[in-house]
Parts: sequence; structure tokens; C-alpha cells
Amino acid sequence: MAEPVVNLKRYLLTRNLIIGWVTCVLLAAFLLNIPKINILEHTARNLYFHVPMWFTMMAAVFVSAYHSFKVLKTGDLVEDIRALQAARVGAFFGVLGLLTGIVWSKFTWYVGTDIWWNMDPRQYMVSLQLLIYGAYFVLRSALDDPRKRSRIAAVYNLFAATTTPFLLYVIPRQMESLHPGAEGNPAFSEITDPLMRLVFYPAIIGFIGIFWIVYTQRVRISLLKYRVTQDSEM
Amino acid sequence: MNSQIIQDSLATDQAASTVSTAFDSLWAGGDIPTQSLSRMEQVMLADDKIFVVLAVVLIIWAGIVVLLLRNDKRLRDVERSVEERIPDPEDEL
Repeated sequence: MAEPVVNLKRYLLTRNLIIGWVTCVLLAAFLLNIPKINILEHTARNLYFHVPMWFTMMAAVFVSAYHSFKVLKTGDLVEDIRALQAARVGAFFGVLGLLTGIVWSKFTWYVGTDIWWNMDPRQYMVSLQLLIYGAYFVLRSALDDPRKRSRIAAVYNLFAATTTPFLLYVIPRQMESLHPGAEGNPAFSEITDPLMRLVFYPAIIGFIGIFWIVYTQRVRISLLKYRVTQDSEM
Repeated sequence: MNSQIIQDSLATDQAASTVSTAFDSLWAGGDIPTQSLSRMEQVMLADDKIFVVLAVVLIIWAGIVVLLLRNDKRLRDVERSVEERIPDPEDEL
């Protein structure tokens, strides 16, 4: 029997902490008073939900790229499984971020119009980023030899991870956008109430924690499958 | 003299209210909708748009449920592979 790759004791402890943590964040997100701003009104609370989705995706991209790097270094298929699962759950959080952003903008700046999808650069760049990750999953399914697949996919995944900060943060900031931080505006620090930051930063940690729970569960399941069937793609 | 105090307090009240209008939903600088609101917008914009936050939280909750169900499916898949490999004691009799 191989050594367990996931430390179960640590997993259970962290999982329970995260569940309690996110519960507190949810309570604070709805119960604390926030300054009322025209157009935004209560939807300013979406800062605690929509924005952490992107932080979570970014964290997932880092985790995935780290394990892809280790695939190239060691050739270990377990690292390949980790890279794949982190990329999948990360892309899923990206889709959630897109959907929540669509709903948020529709009932704030797009009220009275039929616009659900506008020319917002961040929306476009993020969709492009999700397509780049879509290509990663397609590329994997096109290759049969596990060793070859792990190496080629790792190289592509490192490319995909490198484009992420540019498409999510650098390019959208140069263009006109609904998002704060566009065209040299302050992104966050000067325009956000201190009380909201008190909930926002813990919310980021909480959602990254939820990613971590799901990702660890998937790694455990996929590893079991791999040990039983020698199939690393699941 | 009393009326002077009342007037003063009224003036401060008014000053306070002009300060707060910038944060009010009827802020004069705000965009006025070009169309009449659709039914869905009427529902979503009620109570200072709190239902928009509810919709966003429900989307995320639905996403977490999807992740849970998919993990369940994966687990079932592995369970089947393991069960296939466990020899049935009755076969050996």
C-alpha cells in the first residue's frame, strides 16, 4: 500500500474550520450595516460573494500551475491528477464568477435596459481565459498515453496559468469598464468602507477554503480510482 | 426665543438631509431608467435591491451543490471499480 497522499487528519480539521468560518462570513455579510450608495444600494454586499470567486479561481490557477511544474520536474502522475482537479474546480469557480457578475450588473447599471452581457473588457477577457482552460481539458482528452499526456498537459497548463493574471487584471485595467480599477481609478483600497473590508477579506479566505475542500475530495477520489484501475484521467 | 431654537434645529436637519441625499436612492445625479421597469426588475429592485444579493448567493449555493453531486458521482464510479475487483465468496464455492 502506497503512502496516503492526503493527510486525512489535517483535512478533517481544516474542513470543519472552513465550514464554521464561512458560516460566520455569511452571517456578517447580511447582518452588518453598510453605507448606502446610489445605484448599488444593498448589492454592494455582492462584494463578499462575486469578487472572492475570482480570487478563488486565481488561487486554483496557482495550485494547478504549481503541480504542473512538479509534473515536469518529477514526472509523478499524482501531481498530474492534482493539477487537473485544481484546474477543473478553478474553472468552475470562474463560471460562478461570471454568472454572479451578470446578475449583479443587470440590476444595477443595466436597469431599464435589456442588457445582460455588455462590452465590459473584464467579462470578455475572463471568458477568453475560461476558453483557454477549456482547451486544456480538450487537449487532455485527446491524448491516450498517461505519461505523455501528463507532460504535454503540464506545459500547456503553465502557459494557461501565465496568461491568467494578464487577462484578469492587467488588460482590463487599461480599458473602460464598470469594474473599479479601470483607467487608473482606485481599485479598492480608497473607495471601500473599512467595515466592508472586515467581511471581504475573510470571505476570500472562506471561498478559497471551499475550493480547497472540493479539490482535496476530488484528489482523494481520483487517486483511489488511479490505484484501482491505473486510470489517472477522471 | 423658542421659535429661534426650533428654526435652528430645522436648519441643521435640512443640512443633514442634504448631506444624506447623496447616498439616497433618489439622488439627483443618478441615471434615470430609460424604459419602464420590467416585472422581473420590479421584484429584484424592491427593498433596496437585497434580492440581487439573494440571487447571487443562490447561484453560488447551486454551484456548490453541483460540485457536491459531481463528487458523489465520482465516488460511485470508484466504488463500482472496487466492487468489480473484490472476488465474490460464492463464486469460489
